[in-house]
Amino acid sequence: MTAIDLSIRAAAAEIELIGVTKSYDAKNTIIPPIDVTLRPGEFTVVLGPSGCGKSTLLQMIAGLERVSGGRIVIGGREVQDLEPKHRGCAMVFQNYALYPHMTVAENMAYSLKVAGVSKAARAERVAKVAKMLGLADFLERKPSQLSGGQRQRVAIGRAIIREPGVLLFDEPLSNLDAQLRHDMRVELAELHRRIGATSIFVTHDQVEAMTLADRILILNKGRIEQFDTPKVIYHNPASVFVAKFIGSPPMNILDVTGDGSVLRLADGQVVASYAGKGNFQLGIRPEDIAVNDGGSIKTEIRYREDLGSHEILETKIADQNLRIAMPFGVEIDTGQALSLSFPQARLHLFERETGRAISGAFGDAKSQSAAAKEYQ
Amino acid sequence: MVENARSINIAAGILLAIGILYIVGPLYLTLSTASQSYEYMLRNGLAWVPGTEFFANIEKVIHDTRIPIQMLNSMIVAFSNALATCVLSFLSAYAIVYFRIRWAGVVFALILATIMLPLDIRVITTYQVAANIFSPLNAVLDFTGLNTLIASVFGSPVQLELSVLDTHFGLVAPLVAHGTGTFLFRQFFMTLPKDLFKAARMDGAGPIRFLIDILLPLARTSFASLFVLTFLSGWTQYLWPLVGASTPDMQTAVVGLARLVPDADGQVPDFPMIMAGAVLVSLVPLTMIALLQRFLVQGLVLSEK
Repeated sequence: MTAIDLSIRAAAAEIELIGVTKSYDAKNTIIPPIDVTLRPGEFTVVLGPSGCGKSTLLQMIAGLERVSGGRIVIGGREVQDLEPKHRGCAMVFQNYALYPHMTVAENMAYSLKVAGVSKAARAERVAKVAKMLGLADFLERKPSQLSGGQRQRVAIGRAIIREPGVLLFDEPLSNLDAQLRHDMRVELAELHRRIGATSIFVTHDQVEAMTLADRILILNKGRIEQFDTPKVIYHNPASVFVAKFIGSPPMNILDVTGDGSVLRLADGQVVASYAGKGNFQLGIRPEDIAVNDGGSIKTEIRYREDLGSHEILETKIADQNLRIAMPFGVEIDTGQALSLSFPQARLHLFERETGRAISGAFGDAKSQSAAAKEYQ
Repeated sequence: MVENARSINIAAGILLAIGILYIVGPLYLTLSTASQSYEYMLRNGLAWVPGTEFFANIEKVIHDTRIPIQMLNSMIVAFSNALATCVLSFLSAYAIVYFRIRWAGVVFALILATIMLPLDIRVITTYQVAANIFSPLNAVLDFTGLNTLIASVFGSPVQLELSVLDTHFGLVAPLVAHGTGTFLFRQFFMTLPKDLFKAARMDGAGPIRFLIDILLPLARTSFASLFVLTFLSGWTQYLWPLVGASTPDMQTAVVGLARLVPDADGQVPDFPMIMAGAVLVSLVPLTMIALLQRFLVQGLVLSEK
């Protein structure tokens, strides 16, 4: 590889959403008012289940959907009433949305053509972007003659050719196969470093979110569940929703009751000591459970899955499902009795009614969050 | 192939042969009659053998009848019908598919309804409107009582009058209002990726630019096939041109052909000349199909290449 070509580089813009809301009618609110600030050059992944409003949010920033209320400020400019072309955003779509009748070069240069850039200047920019994305040999091809990964690259090239301050990605990798997805992820991360545009990436894939994001914004029914670094989100989920959404397999959530000194399961087993009283939900990641380590919680294996690198054991305690991740090669058979213990430092406690996390419930669990604060 | 039995193949072959005979027979009769003289026909009746008078008959059609100018009329009517239908359908489908319009579904249903109400069953009302294109307005003014008001103020009611009968516009306009094209384009637009419009907007292209730069090139084959189809149907229209144009110089070729049969009883029509005229008039759509048949098929197969 030669030296990194920095000629395609954007002036990253800050994005501020102030009370932005979207509703189609009085009853149907897609997104209740949202306030969020994305720092210049930051790579934000908006993560959430389908129908949580993440695409709508992205399209409102892009200008493809009107906001029902609130303000969108990009680079210090209020843009919520501007046409997409005046907002300095570019977008990569899920199904590429390339123009089928145009060649790769024409596809990438179209926005410049509309903007009235001269033919020579267009060709120069196309050549630069094509070189950067490894498309130089395909410039005269039609999209139908390209592979999925190449089309995706053309779509990215089309977006970055104008050197936008904001790059928007609407689930751009979901049409690719697993291997290609991984490769594109690496390329995207690389590209982001080079271009430096403020990027918003919408996905429902937690792996993409964890690997690409500077910060992850988790949406649930249009509300922000948590907006933080991948590390904090993984280690200190702010709610049961986040806890269940991040991690594979997801965090175990158990209904427990506190009697003032310990937390008990419905069948009376003590799982942790805690000074609070009332109904809680206890979270523990499958990989954090200690097995046959002199623990007091009894169960037996109902099912096991070998995944090569590790294995997943399915068990039940107090009629609630519990998954345990074990290093591969541990000799445990289906039906065998297990004793478990939950390391106190790895536990997460949530209010049962609201699902919100109770921070500092188990002492030193907050050390991760301190590390995250440092990052900010 | 469903079944590969010899007997079925033979039966199918015979059936096909009968079908071909059924179609080609009259065509042959047309050509052979067109190549005989009037006298031959008077003597022998149906002309089963081809003769040598074909070009003489064609010349007679060109010199003695108004078929040439009527073919020009047909050309104008068919061409403007095809062009106007294509443009109108394209734009209305664009509006229906790409814009959030209230009642878009209802509008589309109404457009589709025109397919079930062809011109032939609306011919009387269409004639009334064509005779005075302001008659609907007059009727509305009368019905709402506005005219009584106007009459009481100005002394007489408003009665506007403008006839488009016997004009090219009058021949074309009623044919254009037809939903098939809109349906065709709508179906085609639906097969395109939904994000195309958004991508173009992000690229800075407004609705008109998107229409010209993206949609039109993509819809080229649909456009061509619809053009050919409406041209052909415009060329072969009979009832409306018959009613809508009364002077021979304004009539279309198909109507002109029918008029070559003399009205008076007892006179034997000059069938060789009429058949020669029929051949002449058929040449235009025939050439059209020969040249553009590729589009006919392509445009109707709705798929992205």
